[in-house]
Amino acid sequence: MVLYDSTALAGNSSGSSSSSSSKPPPPPLQPQQQQEIDGLLAGAGYKVRSSELRKVAQRLERLETAMVNSPADFSQLASDTIHYNPSDLASWVDSLLSEFAQPPTCPSEFVMDPVTNQTVVNDAWTTTEPNMPQVHQNISYEQQSLNNQLTVVTAMEEDSGIRLVHMLMTCAECIQRGDFSLATSFLEDMQGLLTRVNTVCGIGKVAGHFIDALGRRIFQGIGGGSINGGSAYENEILYHHFYEACPYLKFAHFTANQAILEAFDGHDCVHVVDFNLMHGLQWPALIQALALRPGGPPLLRLTGIGPPSPDGRDSLREIGLRLAELARSVNVRFAFRGVAASRLEDVKPWMLEVNPKESVAVNSIMQLHRLLGSEPNRNSPVETVLSWIRSLNPKIMTVVEQEANHNQPGFLDRFTEALHYYSTMFDSLEACTVQPDKALAEIYIQREITNVVSCEGSARVERHEPLARWRTRLSGAGFRPLHLGSNAYKQASMLLTLFSAEGYSVEENDGCLTLGWHSRPLIAASAWQALSDAPAEFPAPDTHRPS
Amino acid sequence: MARSNEVNLNECKMVVPLNTWVLISNFKLAYKLLRRPDGTFNRHLAEFLDRKVPANANPVDGVFSFDVLVDRGTSLLCRIYRPATAEEPQPNVAELEKPVTAEVVPVIIFFHGGSFAHSSANSAIYDTLCQRLVGLCKAVVVSVNYRRAPENRYPCAYDDGWTALKWVNSRPWLQSQKDSKVHIYLAGDSSGGNIAHHVALRAIDSGIDVLGNILLNPMFGGQERTESEQRLDGKYFVTLRDRDWYWRAYLPEGEDRDHHACNPFGPNGRSLEGIKFPKSLVVVAGFDLIQDWQLAYVDGLKKAGQEVKLLYMEQATIGFYLLPNNNHFHTVMDEISKFVGSDC
Repeated sequence: MVLYDSTALAGNSSGSSSSSSSKPPPPPLQPQQQQEIDGLLAGAGYKVRSSELRKVAQRLERLETAMVNSPADFSQLASDTIHYNPSDLASWVDSLLSEFAQPPTCPSEFVMDPVTNQTVVNDAWTTTEPNMPQVHQNISYEQQSLNNQLTVVTAMEEDSGIRLVHMLMTCAECIQRGDFSLATSFLEDMQGLLTRVNTVCGIGKVAGHFIDALGRRIFQGIGGGSINGGSAYENEILYHHFYEACPYLKFAHFTANQAILEAFDGHDCVHVVDFNLMHGLQWPALIQALALRPGGPPLLRLTGIGPPSPDGRDSLREIGLRLAELARSVNVRFAFRGVAASRLEDVKPWMLEVNPKESVAVNSIMQLHRLLGSEPNRNSPVETVLSWIRSLNPKIMTVVEQEANHNQPGFLDRFTEALHYYSTMFDSLEACTVQPDKALAEIYIQREITNVVSCEGSARVERHEPLARWRTRLSGAGFRPLHLGSNAYKQASMLLTLFSAEGYSVEENDGCLTLGWHSRPLIAASAWQALSDAPAEFPAPDTHRPS
Repeated sequence: MARSNEVNLNECKMVVPLNTWVLISNFKLAYKLLRRPDGTFNRHLAEFLDRKVPANANPVDGVFSFDVLVDRGTSLLCRIYRPATAEEPQPNVAELEKPVTAEVVPVIIFFHGGSFAHSSANSAIYDTLCQRLVGLCKAVVVSVNYRRAPENRYPCAYDDGWTALKWVNSRPWLQSQKDSKVHIYLAGDSSGGNIAHHVALRAIDSGIDVLGNILLNPMFGGQERTESEQRLDGKYFVTLRDRDWYWRAYLPEGEDRDHHACNPFGPNGRSLEGIKFPKSLVVVAGFDLIQDWQLAYVDGLKKAGQEVKLLYMEQATIGFYLLPNNNHFHTVMDEISKFVGSDC
């Protein structure tokens, strides 16, 4: 069985895909930020500025001395300390040093100069041998991760499976060229080949969905048609089964909740804004964690955004009521508000009724990518939304997104990427045996595939972008990263061993956490805080409501 | 044993470039946090701290890579590195396993180091090293993500190595055009070197030909305390205590360091006299405290009539091959290239 998955990034990485009205798209890095980092250490995964190497070395020395001389502090360090962002070596070493009661000065760091009788820094390190070429990295660390990357994980494959992949790619290429008649004949061939391939698992199964999606694109056009018409109710059911069948959503909720819990530490009035309430699956755990926190729970407000219910039911309110019952049972003062909106961009900040005295957490699980428009234009939805999020001055914004590049302009690139990504995701689902969770989870994923492959323009909402891109976009929009640490990592890993089959892996990536299948990350979680240099633009609550 | 409170950091500062010192010291300190006195290992923190990189099927500097699940039961992954050819600079992803085209293509099965407990095939330092080997030897490199100690003791790492060897040997697309056979070399650093030896042993009488072993600072040991261990203890990043910890973590419980896994030419080792064992290239660093065991290994091979070349790098510390900023690195890379190139 073949699992192919890829992260093919567009060759041109310099422009962002959206632009704001009054300024050019932010470049990946400002010139003054582009410090020269040691190229060899960068290759090993560590960002250290060449100018700081000596200082980091001295700190490492100090750390070692401290570790040897204070065994009590050391064993605490080994067991309790939370580590953050190991790539930033200087900060990592400093944070460990700060755990020691009395970080020593290293006797070897300083020596007495026999002539002047003054203490001087002992510069005992060799300089690099003169005939060794110095390797300097001309591109920044961030830029590296934006370069063309394609991650593939495969397993044993039968010939017909390989042929199927070939044909899928060729068909997609025909479509990109506009040769629909040739594409159609490939489609027919593939449908024939599919009957001879095992479609219960592996490439046969996922290929079937891709063949389907290509068929839709060719015959029904790119407007989405019936797929996008799935009712909100249906979507919620499918989402729930996807939640049960595999750990991706559990990981998302778990990691976000941990970060929110930490951000709310010491705050008595907290307000969580959930960009996609669904069945409110994320919140019981947070409510319970807040109930148990030392010092007692805060007053918790939850604002859940979701699509309007067509049949007169107020499904948002129903979920709110259930959450309120739970909160009451654990003595957490709780208030819920539902905001019905068909699209996230229709939400206005005044609808959230944020009180300036409360600590706000904005929680976006796989929603931001829906705001990426098909054309970079003025005031694209994502910029608008990020801007008003910022105006709320949230204590934390948790963002979880698919770790994939499904928003490339070129169809073939996007198709290739999706084939690899969803093959891997389907393969990971093999580990689940519970029905109907698995079957419905597959339908949930199939809808994503169909949207990525057969839709364009405003109908294509599954515009996934990789973490590196989100970092750039969010930094450019005035947010700074809050690093997820080793405690979150450990808990996520433990959650996996409890609930899932072997093969899932959590990785730390520059302060963010990803969950993937074998070596391929599929979902990325990050946390952000608004930079506070801009004046708050948030208007007083009752002045901007339309009459 | 090193004197407990005095930290002798001055010697190693003098012999390595600054960035190497920072890298290896960072590992040294981080690893210390992970080894618990009771013999357990903080695996979550280890995975969190390890810097990993994804495979990349788009060629970078003429090399592309992809991961393969070689054994579902043990979740054994291998990362395959291949040279991008001039005719096909951008491989179609459906053609990753396209047959090699040259008359002779060496396939190097690589076992990363980490004293059996640390690192992975997708650790950044090893990904970089494997990419270098591709260009250097015009080879396909297969890096094995073997199971690690202490959760998986002897013989898991060897079993995984053997599984990978069988898998490589049975890939039609890795067969050289000249004789339709896969031209296999086993290579590894530290614990990876140890694994290479033992996998080569297993291959004897199996019908699988291993053309050569490349052992970089291979991890061997024994009950006895040798002169180099005493002289160099704690001086160049490594202590006897940590070496002991890793052996206790890998070897079966209750076994001592004269177990044949640790000490292949010791009292419990197997004689290689008269055995068809691959030729070996063994690199020993002059500042590695276990060099006496590595030199004893070379001697053991020689006494058994096996072909072995020793590269003794006097001024080298452990890990010198991780960054290309020293002469030892280039010397060793040249030798490896000649060693692999010599059967064409």
